Amino acid sequence: MKDLLTPNDYKSPLKPIWCPGCGDYGVLQALYRALSAVGRPPHEIAFISGIGCSSRIPGYATAYGFNTVHGRALPIAQGVKLANPDLLVIVAGGDGDGFSIGGGHVPHAIRRNVDLTYLVMDNQVYGLTKGQLSPTSPRGLKTVTSPMGSLEQPINPLLTVLAYGAGFVAQATPADMPGMTALVEEAIRYPGFSYVNIQSPCITFGEEEQQLKAHKGRMKPLASLGHDPSDQLAALDLARAYGTELYTGVFYRDPSPPPTYDALVRQRQAELQRGERRPRSRVLDDFLKP
Amino acid sequence: MTPVTGIDFERITLRDALDLAVLIEEEARDRYREFADQLTTHATPEVADFFSRMARIEERHRAELLERRRTLFGDSPSTVDRRNIFDVEAPGYEEARAFMGVRQALETVLASEVKAHAFFNEALPRVKDLELKALFEELRDEEVDHQELVKAELARCPEKPDDSEAYADDPVAQ
Repeated sequence: MKDLLTPNDYKSPLKPIWCPGCGDYGVLQALYRALSAVGRPPHEIAFISGIGCSSRIPGYATAYGFNTVHGRALPIAQGVKLANPDLLVIVAGGDGDGFSIGGGHVPHAIRRNVDLTYLVMDNQVYGLTKGQLSPTSPRGLKTVTSPMGSLEQPINPLLTVLAYGAGFVAQATPADMPGMTALVEEAIRYPGFSYVNIQSPCITFGEEEQQLKAHKGRMKPLASLGHDPSDQLAALDLARAYGTELYTGVFYRDPSPPPTYDALVRQRQAELQRGERRPRSRVLDDFLKP
Repeated sequence: MTPVTGIDFERITLRDALDLAVLIEEEARDRYREFADQLTTHATPEVADFFSRMARIEERHRAELLERRRTLFGDSPSTVDRRNIFDVEAPGYEEARAFMGVRQALETVLASEVKAHAFFNEALPRVKDLELKALFEELRDEEVDHQELVKAELARCPEKPDDSEAYADDPVAQ
């Protein structure tokens, strides 16, 4: 094994088939770079995804990968991490996969605080199936399933994950590659559940003002606003602007991360092995002793 | 938003500057290869061929710079790597389009050459060493030569309306 892993070491021979101009190409490149900065070799990494354009990422990375079923990336990723806590587990998917089909899994992954990095490529439509409304589509958006404009209030993914208590919450755009790469790296290094909302526009079915060229003029780095990422209330306040402002950077980073679920499970297993705790079967044996 | 991170131009050595130049060409070569693959997949063969040609040109530039680096410094280790650079000469991913025309592709390449020129121009005032300054001026001026070549090709390329939207599906109830 070489001493220094380069971004290309994480590239797979499979060529992406996303539409030219798709934001996901930048996300993939940022991931390769962030992984080479973190320095974990490919055999220590697992990519887990659901279904959708962005969920194709496991195929494009040299690492373990599981392109699972729609909306079920998080439960499977938690299982992978608990089965092999030494793996670096990265979950990738879209806003529909994460907040509609798989929406019920988000709060539980967060409250358990399994050490995962969840990257949501939020494009505000179901791109793979030709541009239907998704949970983050803005109200009024005209799509094939809302020809007169959406009547629904969109989910705010940033507020959602903050409200459930995620320890690391950030937002990025491929319009700022250095910024996005640094955020992905920071999320991977965070010890616990980390979430990055990546505004990765759909070039084919997305709105013009949501495209990367428009992002370049709209994005506002949170650091330039003097935001303190350890201030959870300020993070919640800033997250309310989702859909109107394009803030990039770390909204919230828990200054004292609690123990992760996987660490607690290891601790419990060690206690059992040392005999400090007795498994239920033996407790029952004691009870049934004559 | 700087395209180069973690490099202090006031302290950079000639060896690392040459390595940086090699990596800039390498990144551009890889991006053009990616664009060629994307447009091959998305049924735009003429532009895919054009981007393949661009990748070969960038590879030639990279090889020339690498040769120079090896002549001067052998295989001594470098302190710069691909993680330090972001789209210096490589066009951004947002520039590719399915069904784009050759003219659009040429405009993309021209914008990238302008971007690379601006990078060297902005770095130059921070470079103190005279030998280094000469290298950066040479690299910057080469970008001007490249721009002229692309402009000449653009002048020969017929004006064609952008029909990249013509193939998009009309909304249909699912």
